[in-house]
Amino acid sequence: MARGEIELSKLTKEFADVTAVDAIDLQVPAGEFFSLLGPSGCGKTTTLRMIAGFEQPTSGQILLDGTDVAYTPPHQRNVNTVFQNYALFPHLNVYDNIAFGLKRAKRPKAEIRERVGKALELVQLSGYDRRKSSQLSGGQQQRVALARALVLNPAVLLLDEPLGALDAKLRKTLQIELKALQQEVGITFLYVTHDQEEALTMSDRLAVMNGGHIEQVGAPQDVYEDPETLFVADFLGVSNLMAARIVSTATSACKVAVDGYELETRGTELDVTGEAKIVIRPERLELEAHGSPPGQNRVPGMIERVVYVGSTIQVIVRAATGESLQALVQNTGAGIPWEQGTPVQLHLPADALRVLPSGIGDAPSLKGEEQVEEGAAAS
Amino acid sequence: MTTVAESRPSEGFSTWSRLRGWLRNPWGKPRFLVLITWAYILWSIVPVLIAVQFSFNATRSRTVWDSFSWRWYWGDPVDSVWHDPTLRHALVQSFKLAGADVLIAVPIGVLLALGLARWRGRGSGVSNFIMLFPLVTPEIVMGVSLLLVFSELFTFIHTGTVAQILGHVTFSISFVVVIVRGRLFSIGRQYEEAAADLGASPFVALTRVLLPLLTPAIVASAAVVFAISADDFVISQWLSEGGPTDTVPIRIYSATRAAPLPSVNAIATIMMVSTLLIVTIGFLTWRAFTRGERRAGKAAEDIGGAFNLT
Amino acid sequence: MYPRWLWRSLALPGIAWLIILFVVPFYAVLGVALGTVDPILFQPVPIWNPLEWNVGWIQEALTRLAPGGIWFDVGVRTIVYVLLSLALCLLIGYPVAYYTARHAGRWKGLILILIILPLWISYMMRMLAWVNLLQADGYVNRFLVFTHVLNQPRDWLGGSASTVILALVYGYIPYLILPLFASLDRIDRSHLEAARDLGASPWSAFRTVTLPLSKTGILGGAVLITLPMFGDYYTPNIVSGSPKTSLVGNQIDLYFHGGPQPTLGAALTIILAVFLTFLMLYYLWSIHRAQRDVGAVGAL
Repeated sequence: MARGEIELSKLTKEFADVTAVDAIDLQVPAGEFFSLLGPSGCGKTTTLRMIAGFEQPTSGQILLDGTDVAYTPPHQRNVNTVFQNYALFPHLNVYDNIAFGLKRAKRPKAEIRERVGKALELVQLSGYDRRKSSQLSGGQQQRVALARALVLNPAVLLLDEPLGALDAKLRKTLQIELKALQQEVGITFLYVTHDQEEALTMSDRLAVMNGGHIEQVGAPQDVYEDPETLFVADFLGVSNLMAARIVSTATSACKVAVDGYELETRGTELDVTGEAKIVIRPERLELEAHGSPPGQNRVPGMIERVVYVGSTIQVIVRAATGESLQALVQNTGAGIPWEQGTPVQLHLPADALRVLPSGIGDAPSLKGEEQVEEGAAAS
Repeated sequence: MTTVAESRPSEGFSTWSRLRGWLRNPWGKPRFLVLITWAYILWSIVPVLIAVQFSFNATRSRTVWDSFSWRWYWGDPVDSVWHDPTLRHALVQSFKLAGADVLIAVPIGVLLALGLARWRGRGSGVSNFIMLFPLVTPEIVMGVSLLLVFSELFTFIHTGTVAQILGHVTFSISFVVVIVRGRLFSIGRQYEEAAADLGASPFVALTRVLLPLLTPAIVASAAVVFAISADDFVISQWLSEGGPTDTVPIRIYSATRAAPLPSVNAIATIMMVSTLLIVTIGFLTWRAFTRGERRAGKAAEDIGGAFNLT
Repeated sequence: MYPRWLWRSLALPGIAWLIILFVVPFYAVLGVALGTVDPILFQPVPIWNPLEWNVGWIQEALTRLAPGGIWFDVGVRTIVYVLLSLALCLLIGYPVAYYTARHAGRWKGLILILIILPLWISYMMRMLAWVNLLQADGYVNRFLVFTHVLNQPRDWLGGSASTVILALVYGYIPYLILPLFASLDRIDRSHLEAARDLGASPWSAFRTVTLPLSKTGILGGAVLITLPMFGDYYTPNIVSGSPKTSLVGNQIDLYFHGGPQPTLGAALTIILAVFLTFLMLYYLWSIHRAQRDVGAVGAL
C-alpha cells in the first residue's frame, strides 16, 4: 500500500476578496521530495495549510493515500508540519517538545524515551534534550522542529519555508541535510519555498505556482530546461526572452523569425502561432569570435558589459535583433577573452531554444536588463 | 568671527571652551532636561517618603519629627493600626476586596480576552466596545450609576462588601482583557497550530499550550487588578455602608481633614508596601517567563501598548 | 481548528457581567435623572419607559449650570482647573518624558522605574503626603519661613485654588508621562539624524520631527488624565475643605451624600457624561485603532 501519496483534486480556497488557490490538481507519489515553488502570494502556503488542516478548502478534495481528509481536523491527520518559525513550545524543553505528539497519542513512557532519543540522533542533536528552545541557535531549532514532526512517523511531512530565517551558508548546509534526511526516512516531503535555487537543488519534482494556479509540474531539469510558460521560464533562473514570430511549428522542430533572422528551435507540443516568445538559458548561449563563419542560428552582436562573478563570467551582449542577452561563461582561468564594445557572433543552438506562448505586455529589452541584475545578484 | 578666533589663539581645552562645547553638543544631554527630570522625580517621591517616615514618629505629630518608634503600627494600645478597630477593619476590608477582585475578575477577563481576540462575526465589535468603555468612564459616573442601580433596580443588593466587590470587578475586567490580549497577540496562533498538528485536540491545545504561554500575562494582570483595587476610592466609597466596609483609602480620606494621627500614615504605608510587593512579584514573574522569548524592554512595550499608551 | 461557537461562549460571562453591571447601571442613571421625585419623601422615582421620560430635572440642572445659575461658577471653575492642570502637567511632563526617552542613556531603566512608581502608590497616600507637608507647621511652611520667602506660615489648605491645581497636577501627572514616554521612545533615532543631516538645528529638528511624531502620545495622555479630572471631587475635598474650590464632582457628591436630591445629582451626572462623551469616544477610537494596528483586535 502506498504510504504518503497526496492527491489534490480541484482544490480551491477563496477568501473574502481573493481566490488564493484556484482549483488545482496535483499528484505527489509516496516517498517523493516535492516542492511548491512560487512568489509570495501565489497560494503555495495556503495549499500547504489546507493539506495540514489549518485552513478549510472552499471546495475540492485532499486525498491522502486515497482518503479525503479535506474536512478532517488537523490533529487527526497523519500529516505533520515544520513551521516557518519552528513554533517550538517555549515553555517546554527539547525533550518535551519532541515528545509532545507521542504523549498526545498516549504512548508508554519507555517507548517515548526511545523514540525521542532516536529522533534526536536522526537530527544530530543527541544530548540537547534538556535545553530550552531559547538556548538553541536557529539551525538547531529547525532540527528540533524536524525531529518533533518526524518522531510521529507521519505519512507526509510538510515544510513551510523552513530555511527562510537562516543565513545563506547555513541554508545551503541544511538543504543538503534535509535532502539526505528525506532519503533516509523515505517519507513524502512537501516543501514550500520561494527560492528557486532551493527547489531545484532539493526536489525530486516540483510545481511552479502563480496566482493560485499551477503553471508547470516536473523534475527540476525538465522545468528548468523546458519551461512551458513565460512565467516559469522567467521565475527559474535567467531567461533571455526574445519576441519572435512563428513561421512553422512541429513536434520535432520549429522555425521562428526574429527581426529578419530565421532561427530553428526545439519542437513543441504547444499550439502556438503568430507572435510568441523564445527563450534560451545563459549557459547555453555560445559566443563565437567576430568573423567566424556564419551558419544556422547565428546572430551578430556587440558586447555591452562583462561581469566577473568568480566562478563564472557574465557577458551581456546586444544582439543584432535588438535584445540584450546574457551569456554565462565558465571561468577557465584563461582570462576574459571578451571586451566591452567589441563585436561578437552569437550562436543560439537550436536544441537550446524553446518556444513559448507570448505573455501580455512585456518589453524584451527591459527583461534583459532585469535579468542581468538578477543574474549578478544571484551568483 | 575672526576677531574671536584671533583673540583666543592658544586657549587649548580650557574650561570655557569645554563648557561651550558641552552646551552646544547636538547629541549631548541638555542640562536643563536633566535637572527638570531629577527635580520632578524628587518632587514626586520625596513627599511620600516623608509621609512614610512620619508613620514611624514617636509623637502624635505628622509634621514635627521626634524619634523612631513602632508606636503607630502596634505600640500604642489605643490608636495604633493593630489596636484601633476602625483602622484594622479598613486594612482587612481593603485586602478582602482586592483579593476577591483578583479571584473573580482575572478568570472572567482571561476568558473574555480569548473570546474577543478570536471572535469573528456579528457582535464582536459591539462586545469589544462594551469592554473598552469602563476604561474611559470617569469613576464618579460609574459610582453614581452603581449606587443608583443597587438602590433602584437591583434592590436585593445593598451597599456594603458585596456591592463593593461587584463594582471593583466591573472596572477591573477591562484591564485584564487588555493585558492578556496584548500577550495573545505576541504569541500568535503558531503554537496551537503546532500542537494540533502533533495530535492535540482543540481543548488540549488551549489548556496545555496556550494557557501556560499566557501565564505571565495572567500573573501580571492579577497584580495590576490588586493594585487598582487597593487604590480604589470612589467606587468603594459610594458603595460602602460605612464603618467596617470602609477601605484604607476611605479611612485616609476621612481622617485627613480631621486631626489625624500618624496611624493614618502607618496604614497608608502598609497598603503601599503590600501593593508594591505584589506588583514587583507580578513584574518579575512576567520577566522570568518571557526571558528567553524577547528583550526585556519589549515586556514594558507589551504592557504599555496594551493600554494604548502611545 | 476550533469550533465556531467557542470564542463567543468564552466571551459570554464577561460580556454578560459588563452588561448587567455596567450598561444597565447607566440606564438606571437615565431612569432616575429623567424620572420624578416623590414630593413627600423626597425620594427619586425612576421612570423606566423612555416614552415617559421627564426632562424637567435635566432642564433644571442645565439652568443651574448656565450663566446666572448657581452652578455656573462651579462649571467654569472645573474647566479652568482642569485646563490649567493639564497645561502644567504637559509643561512639566513633556521634558521629563523626553529626557527619559531620548537622552537618559544608562539611567533610563532606573528613571523609568522611578517614574512608574507613583502609579502604584495609592492616590490617597500621595495626597496625604502633601496635606502633611502643607500643614501650618509642616515642612513647606517651615522651609519658606526659614528662607524668608514668607514672613509667617501660610494657610495652604483652607480653600486655595493654587493648592487644588497643584494637587491635581501632582496626582495625575504620572498618568500623562507614561504614554508620552512610550510615544517618544518609539520615535526612531534615524528620523532625527536625517533631519539633522538635511540641515535642521537641534531645536528645529525637535519642532519639525519629534513634536509632530509625539502628537498621538500627547493627545492620548491628555485625554487619559482630563477624563478623570473632570469627575474629581476628592482632591479638592482633601486639600481644601472650602466651597470656594468646589468642582462639578463635588456638586454631584453633595446631592447624593449631602442632601436629599439624588435626582438632581443624577441629572448633573448625565450632563457631565454627555460633555465628556466626545473625549471618551475619541479615546476609545484611538485605543481601538492602536490595538487594530498592532493586530490584537480581529487577528488570530
